[in-house]
Amino acid sequence: MDGDDGSTRRRFLATAGVAAATGLAGCNGLVGSDTSGSNAASGTVSFSDFRGSGPLVESRPEITAPRIADLPDLSGELTVYLGGGEGGLYRDLMALFERIYDDFTAVPNEGGTAEQANKLLTEGENTPADLFWSVDAGSLSVVADEGLTADLSGEALEGVPEAFHPNDQWVGTAGRARAVPYNTNQLSSDDIPESVMDFPDSPAVANGFGWAPTYGAFQAFVTAMRVLEGESATRSWLESMMGAATEYPDEFVTSNAVADGEIGAGFANHYYALRVRSARPDAPLDLAFTRGDAGALINVAGAALLEPSDNTELAETFVRHLLSAEAQEFFATRTFGYPTVEGVPPVGGLPSVGELEPPELELDKLSNLEPTLDLMREVGVL
Amino acid sequence: MAGARGESGASGSVRLRTRLRALLATGEDEEPSVAVGLLAAAVATAVLSPIAWLVLRAAEVGVDEAIELVFAGNTLSVLLNSVALVAAVTVASVLLGVPLAVVTVQTDLPFGRFWTVAVALPLVIPSYVGAFAFVSAFGPRGALSGLLAPLGVEIPTIYGFGGAVLVLTAFVYPYVFLTTRASLLSFDTAQLEAARTLDAGYRDAFRRVVLPQIAPGVTAGALLVALYTLSDFGTPAIMHFDTFTRVIFVELNTFSRNHATLLSLQLLGVTAVILALESRIGPGEADGYGARSSTDTVVELGWWAVPATLLLAAVVAVTLALPVGILGVWLFRSGPGYAAGGLAFEWSFGLNSVVVSAAAALVTTLAALPVAYVSGRSNSRLAWLAERSTYVGYAVPGVVLGLALVFFGTRYAPGLYQTLPLLVFAYVVRFLPQAVGATRSSVLGVDRSLVGAARTLGARPRTAFRRVTLPLITPGLVAGAALVFLTTMKELPATLILHPTGFTTLVTYIWRVQEAGYYGRAAVPALALVVISSVSMLVILRGEDTE
Repeated sequence: MDGDDGSTRRRFLATAGVAAATGLAGCNGLVGSDTSGSNAASGTVSFSDFRGSGPLVESRPEITAPRIADLPDLSGELTVYLGGGEGGLYRDLMALFERIYDDFTAVPNEGGTAEQANKLLTEGENTPADLFWSVDAGSLSVVADEGLTADLSGEALEGVPEAFHPNDQWVGTAGRARAVPYNTNQLSSDDIPESVMDFPDSPAVANGFGWAPTYGAFQAFVTAMRVLEGESATRSWLESMMGAATEYPDEFVTSNAVADGEIGAGFANHYYALRVRSARPDAPLDLAFTRGDAGALINVAGAALLEPSDNTELAETFVRHLLSAEAQEFFATRTFGYPTVEGVPPVGGLPSVGELEPPELELDKLSNLEPTLDLMREVGVL
Repeated sequence: MAGARGESGASGSVRLRTRLRALLATGEDEEPSVAVGLLAAAVATAVLSPIAWLVLRAAEVGVDEAIELVFAGNTLSVLLNSVALVAAVTVASVLLGVPLAVVTVQTDLPFGRFWTVAVALPLVIPSYVGAFAFVSAFGPRGALSGLLAPLGVEIPTIYGFGGAVLVLTAFVYPYVFLTTRASLLSFDTAQLEAARTLDAGYRDAFRRVVLPQIAPGVTAGALLVALYTLSDFGTPAIMHFDTFTRVIFVELNTFSRNHATLLSLQLLGVTAVILALESRIGPGEADGYGARSSTDTVVELGWWAVPATLLLAAVVAVTLALPVGILGVWLFRSGPGYAAGGLAFEWSFGLNSVVVSAAAALVTTLAALPVAYVSGRSNSRLAWLAERSTYVGYAVPGVVLGLALVFFGTRYAPGLYQTLPLLVFAYVVRFLPQAVGATRSSVLGVDRSLVGAARTLGARPRTAFRRVTLPLITPGLVAGAALVFLTTMKELPATLILHPTGFTTLVTYIWRVQEAGYYGRAAVPALALVVISSVSMLVILRGEDTE
């Protein structure tokens, strides 16, 4: 068994080295997917397997974060509750880990973010889960507040800015920034105000404006506004936006509508515009960010060790893998999320996390949704 | 155990039997045995048990908080909205389902078989998929409004009460259609002939002879429609109409389980009122007559065939062609932008759906048999209670039921938690009344004098049941099993919460890709779902006719 393991590991290291070199040469996308994509069963996994391909992946710079090779091995069976999961991509990432480690099995159990959190709260101490990996900080915080999570060690959190692990009960694995997708045929970046509070009277809403108030990320944004600006300012902001705004079922549709020119701009998480652009590279679509307010909120997908599990050591090693250069590159280039580890830049000419100016707000606060929904209902947005 | 076989034990059990018999009995000869009655009571208790969790949880909520919620401003409007929606959808479904059943069973409608299948099929389309399709067609910037806008035609908004009624009716009226059809099929047309020989016109004969006979079938279907409407979450959510289920779902999404619990209890209160109302206005025990199933033409349509066909075509266009067409659009729009995810569809998801649905159909039908038999044969309070209580789980939103079973599973049956048996149990709780309803109306249709004759000829009760009653109620059993199979295929919320880890079905896959925004990916599994369910529907409808 040991020998097997070692050889798998060595093969992986060798391939990873080659991939890193071709990556530097600037043509990794094609070479990577041609050489290693086809031999999935062989157990070898290269860096470019994590990176994928596509127009937004070309010319990635060198990644300086720690590699999987520097981490302890994954071994054994890990039950992972997934909240969300980026349309199956998280399963793909776990499958890559399973290919690297012969005796590692990840057993995913999927559901919505709130659904999985509620399930964990109801299961309590009897939960069969070892790890909760969810695409919304609010759901992680609720589980942590109930005392169901275990401390992450300092070793695991190295290289992750503190904002992404406020109390060490969970750690952000990829960021999702609020953004303003706008149609470049209709608007220029100067038309997008720097403060989200200035939107109602700005040229940004003149050509029609889209939002998705039933979408969780939008509700988290309004929660942030409520906490930062107060209830009455939020109420009047919602009231004055309501007349101009067109409602969409979700933010992917909103971003597509902007690209089609149905509306001049909208509110959406940043990666939806990147998804549209990766499919339609010529789409007249760009992103603007507000500064230091709710409109610039960065929510995270994150992972928490579950306290009732007797498998926390494996769970923590798994979390460290999620924070490896390879996994971070995966989140950046395949889900178009913001990497949460220093040394891994975002894709597509996005400003780096350092250049964004998110508001000073602990992400835990986002779990207090109830008053937000009351407010949205009162105003008539919901 | 040994003691129970002793003399005192025996006399004790005899006393118990006598008392139970007294409880169950109404003095008629062919009363179901005590054992069957106990079995029915056990089934009812089992399906009610998850509800206990709601009560337990509600007891944990502080009194102040509870009072505040119950008297909160929007609670009353949510209650009124829910009641209005249930009433409107039920009435609309009866108005649509009964005429369709009569036209397809009792007339010489051209292509009658085709239309029978076509108007029953909307039941296989999950209402959330249907609602999405309606919104993409009729919604703001939808496919149809885009087509019609240049012509100056504006479609009124689909959102709100009207849209919710339209969509729900479109996908649940087949409940009334199917149950009414089943009653019509087991209806002896000789009676109708007799009435008409006595010079009553068809309309008069229908009102005086047919309607009383099929009333149990119609009300069984209407009750299913009413309770489905009360428990459906997807449609009101997509149509932006605040009902109990939508508000409960929002509360669960904000982690306010207390509020969700209290709202669920109120929802159960409404359910109880509906069940009580139904048994008030529903017909009493209809006497069974020798039921030979019959598809004989009773009415010749003549030139009425034209408007009838047009009506059927319109119904099928809106409830079947439109949603399937929209799925097709999604399929062809699935360029890179709509299918960029890393999640591949596997046909094994379809197999999983079929296996778990078949298991649910089998277990549910077996559980329904004693309940339906006792309630169809006995007027006792216990029989009534057992039958009524099976409907409670049907009206509980899937998410609430799911969480209840998570609670019970993790605490009292850790070995069963996240296994197929617990998932199947959830389906039994959710869908038992569909099987009970269908089976019960065929039990009511069994001619008791036939059973009596069998007994006179020396058959023991068990033999009489097996050789006389069972063959006669088989169509009802099969129809019930079919309904359970179809609805299990498309059940979403409880499946999402309780599915064994790693067990993906068509709907959990549809949900996953839809949530990620990859609508194109949802098209293939949704169409597969529709096709598989359609095939089973065909088998059922055919089986019904040849019985």
